[in-house]
Amino acid sequence: MRAPDGPPVTAGDVLLSIDNVSLSFGGVKAVSGVSFDIRKGEIRAIIGPNGAGKTSMLNIINGFYHPQEGVITYKGEARAKMRPHDAADGGIARTFQNVALFRGMTALDNIMAGRTLKMRRNMFWQMLRVGPALAEEVEHRHRVEEIIDFLKIQEIRRTPVSRLPYGLQKRVELGRALAMEPELLLLDEPMAGMNIEEKEDMSRFILDVNDHYGTTIALIEHDMGVVMDLSDRVVVLDHGIKIADGTPNEVKSNQAVIDAYLGVAH
Amino acid sequence: MAVAFDAAAKADTFPKLLVRNARLYGSRPSMRHKDLGIWQSWTWAQALELVRAYAVGLNRLGLKRGETIAIVGSNRPKLYWSVMAAQMLGAVPVPVYADAVADELSFVLAHADVRFAAVEDQEQIDKIQSVLDRLPKLELMVYDETRGLRDYDHAKLRAMDDVIAAGRKALAADPKLGEWLDGEIAAGKGSDPSIILYTSGTTGASKGVVLSGERSIQAATDTVAFDRLTEKDVALAYLPLAWVGDHYLNYAQGLVAGFCMACPESADTATSDLREIGPSFYFAPPRTLEVLLTRVMIRMEDASALKRKMFHYFIGVARQYGERILNGQPVPFTGRLLYWIGNVLVYAPLKNVLGFSRVRVAYTAGEAIGPDLFAFYRSIGLNFKQLYGQTEAFLYVTAQPDGEIHSDTVGPACPHVDIRIADNGEVLFKSPGMFIGYFKDAAKTAEVMTPDGFVKTGDAGYFDEKTGHLKIIDRAKDVGRLNDGTMFPPKYIENKLKFFPDIREAVAYGDMRDFVTVMLNIDLTAVGSWAERNNVSYGSYQELAGHPLVYAMMEKHIADVNSAMAADKMLAGNQIKRFLILHKELDADDGELTRTQKVRRGFVAERYAPLVDALYNGSSEADISTEVTFEDGRKGTLSARVKIADMQPVAISGTLGKAA
Repeated sequence: MRAPDGPPVTAGDVLLSIDNVSLSFGGVKAVSGVSFDIRKGEIRAIIGPNGAGKTSMLNIINGFYHPQEGVITYKGEARAKMRPHDAADGGIARTFQNVALFRGMTALDNIMAGRTLKMRRNMFWQMLRVGPALAEEVEHRHRVEEIIDFLKIQEIRRTPVSRLPYGLQKRVELGRALAMEPELLLLDEPMAGMNIEEKEDMSRFILDVNDHYGTTIALIEHDMGVVMDLSDRVVVLDHGIKIADGTPNEVKSNQAVIDAYLGVAH
Repeated sequence: MAVAFDAAAKADTFPKLLVRNARLYGSRPSMRHKDLGIWQSWTWAQALELVRAYAVGLNRLGLKRGETIAIVGSNRPKLYWSVMAAQMLGAVPVPVYADAVADELSFVLAHADVRFAAVEDQEQIDKIQSVLDRLPKLELMVYDETRGLRDYDHAKLRAMDDVIAAGRKALAADPKLGEWLDGEIAAGKGSDPSIILYTSGTTGASKGVVLSGERSIQAATDTVAFDRLTEKDVALAYLPLAWVGDHYLNYAQGLVAGFCMACPESADTATSDLREIGPSFYFAPPRTLEVLLTRVMIRMEDASALKRKMFHYFIGVARQYGERILNGQPVPFTGRLLYWIGNVLVYAPLKNVLGFSRVRVAYTAGEAIGPDLFAFYRSIGLNFKQLYGQTEAFLYVTAQPDGEIHSDTVGPACPHVDIRIADNGEVLFKSPGMFIGYFKDAAKTAEVMTPDGFVKTGDAGYFDEKTGHLKIIDRAKDVGRLNDGTMFPPKYIENKLKFFPDIREAVAYGDMRDFVTVMLNIDLTAVGSWAERNNVSYGSYQELAGHPLVYAMMEKHIADVNSAMAADKMLAGNQIKRFLILHKELDADDGELTRTQKVRRGFVAERYAPLVDALYNGSSEADISTEVTFEDGRKGTLSARVKIADMQPVAISGTLGKAA
């Protein structure tokens, strides 16, 4: 596997910071006044009970939702609104809570789709498949094959994803996100609906991605065991408010977190 | 071609053959491997250059003549080259099954005294490191796949690419080194040990079978001539590297004939790689053929009505005429015409899907093959043949010549092989490729050899009067007797049951008992598909296995087997009286099957003792709790209540004959 191009990533620098961000849909406050940061090279978990605003947070980071208040600083550049294509151009890729693949296309084509932004030739040349466009496609295919090898999905290369079991679809989706060679990878419940073995595999892949490509990862996950094992730092949301932020051990012993998860006597 | 064989006879070690092939077929492919989705090829000349560099690299790390080196992993070019490079130095490779659990691995590595190991990837390194305290002699592992190993302590690790590069650099810098290596190749004697293959351990702990280069090459030369294999053939190397079959069929025959060996991308892609490579020489154990056929049949169930009708009609035509056409027997003109149409519409596309379009010679062996299964593949025009052999013989003892094919025999003795049947019915042989002895076990070696140099196979068999072919019925020591004195061949009964696609595994009991009983494993693919079509819902193997409708289905199969046996007066007493369906699949990881997927009957009887007791004490169900081992070595427990069903015996139809 090849490290991404560009300057070496030094762990510790802030890659993305969220300052005092609030988002509401009409009268419903999904996120209110949340601040936290994601540092380069770390695995950052966002956890919280159902309806805590985790997915909204992820959607804010990749520009799908626009917060009414607050500032997002990504790679030193502050902006009130991030648009999805800005996020993608800037090296943010994501997977979805409910797998969002092109169901009729093969695993290979799905992952190739992740390379779209990296294509330099226009559609006309790509359709002709000659000369420079062909050379470019070969180069992209090579990168995609590296990802297929990395995720060990050679045997399903030509299988339409709709025919794949759920665990493998999740892996293909991760592959598509990796094809963008992201700097920041957002994973929305990567282990949801998986059995223990699939979870172990997925954990291994997440750690490998972080290790090999130096990719910064922000993930939402319900399985506490997985979160505690994988992540460097954890931010906890409850009803749209940040209630804790720190290392897994700090968070685990935080009274507010315990209350949010187990409930308190009223 | 004759020239090539003469030269092969003179080259008495595999490294000498490699040198010869680089000279004779220098620009022809020797090896292919699918990597990053593309088939990569290496010619014989390239392979020689690479193996020389690798050998020098290994030598600089300390590998010397007479030492052993473990080869652990799946079929990958670099592992085959590790075998060649070791042999070039006069060291002895010891391949180990890639899916062996840590205990088995440590037994072989410790028993073979290995100082070095060539391993595939992180998974194998982790496995070896977990038992490192039992392997004090192991000094260094060289690995093929670098992934995940970056942060490992490299005191005991080297990347194969680095070893090869270092060797290449040393060879370029010092011309004398090349001469030295030529000297090493020339110094290798044909009588030296060439490889140690550990047996799968069907009967007890595995033994290291030592084979010499000279004998291996002699045996391979005979069979290459027998099947007219040439440098233009292609084989897919997908069988376990540590199994004698792979070493013989692909490695030895490949080097002797100079043909190309293609390594699949991964174990899971073998089926599609088969299709892309289109091998001309193919080997598959009956189980693989069964799985393939089951898959085809299941997919045909989902096909459109027209296609399904066409398929079944022409498969019927093939059943009627196909084998006769293949055997060169007379067939009416209409038969030939229908078969020709069937070939265009069904057989050729089917063979293409299976990757058999170019298969010229194909073998199956390892266990008895169902007559229907065998006939199916032959009828669509595939020249499948049976052979009989074992590790001690370097595979071949008998093989069926073209045109003399029977599903219940294994053919006449191979060229230059002598076979004798002992008084107790055991098959003895003496062959060109036979082993030198068991590694570090002279006592066991003496045990299996007769004073006049024949090897005891441990199999009971006889020569069929009609065909003159050898027939194997069971392991000699497994043939037992019921209390009434009837001969009881458990394997024979189990095989009859396993010929039903719904039954994956069967274990028969009856020795020193009043009657015969069986434990069954259902085939999850076949029965699962049946369940889907019949709206039978199930959550797990265990649940499906215990389903009353599944029991009813099995009862029908056993009734069929019983009536077949009732027709044969020798076996009529072996009718199955009671049976049960096991709550879990028998698995090699739990020690219930060998690595070559053979049932270890004695072990199963011990492990499921409460169930065996229940089969004989008349109870209608029994509780069982067993330990299961996961692939990473962790253990868990599985408990279940298993039902036991009774069978009505079939009237013996052979009574007239008996009275007379």
